[in-house]
Amino acid sequence: MPGVPHLPINVGSAAGGFRVLPSPDGHLRIAAWGYWPPEVITAFGVNAPAAAQTLAPSSIFVFDTKELKPQGAEGQDALRALFRAVAPLPFAKGMIIRGNAMTCMQLARLLRECRADKRLEFTDTEAVGG
Amino acid sequence: MASAEDEVTQVIYKFYDALEDLLRARGTGSMIEIWHHTDYVTTSHPFGSWARGWTEVKVNWEEGAAVFSAYQGHATRSDRIGGIHELKVVVMGDAAHGTGIYRSKLYMSDGVLDLCLNCTNILQRIDGIWKIVHHHADQAQPEWQAAIGRMVGAGHS
Repeated sequence: MPGVPHLPINVGSAAGGFRVLPSPDGHLRIAAWGYWPPEVITAFGVNAPAAAQTLAPSSIFVFDTKELKPQGAEGQDALRALFRAVAPLPFAKGMIIRGNAMTCMQLARLLRECRADKRLEFTDTEAVGG
Repeated sequence: MASAEDEVTQVIYKFYDALEDLLRARGTGSMIEIWHHTDYVTTSHPFGSWARGWTEVKVNWEEGAAVFSAYQGHATRSDRIGGIHELKVVVMGDAAHGTGIYRSKLYMSDGVLDLCLNCTNILQRIDGIWKIVHHHADQAQPEWQAAIGRMVGAGHS
């Protein structure tokens, strides 16, 4: 629910995982890295869309993918779940911090499929968020 | 009987035929078949970062195919998108490498997009069959990567 604080979530290992960091002022940062094993995929598919529901009209959403590798079919489904959750939400600004160019291509393709490409813009640096 | 150098040369040409298939939306089957499916295979593409282990390598080729599913510039053309040139092969027992120059030409809606990269392929002979265990291509120039990115974002070339 918008405005309901979620605890930080940290799933996975150095090889592949994600972290959800809500902030007290309503912003949301999700960092993802590596290649995801099945347990990370499952957790991301549940927790990331749920965390997105906390976004309010004044919120800034940052998806940090600097260290994320291209994902297989199941990992792509988990990313689609996040993008589909985000697409209709009325947050102020959404950014994807890009790294691996192949990952960036994959995310751009998935964003377009989920009609979320107008909600999240790619950036090289994290100008806002934390 | 073909020499080991000839066998390796043919496998490397088949690799670039498989790449052509992948870029022209003819599937990843031939690319998957030509690789050794094991944890120590590695690949790097004109887009950049390393994929390590067969799971990641396979995903990278599949994503390459997904990226180029938006490319329509060769839909009505018979010329190849790209190929390997100046290929030099060295065989050392059950290991071999090939170095060459990959040149490609994409016909985008706003003009022709050329690519010219140094490439290395390393092969291992496993049960008498040469398999790719490593592929490296230089990173493409930023303008080329940006053009492919625009194609993916737009969903068409």
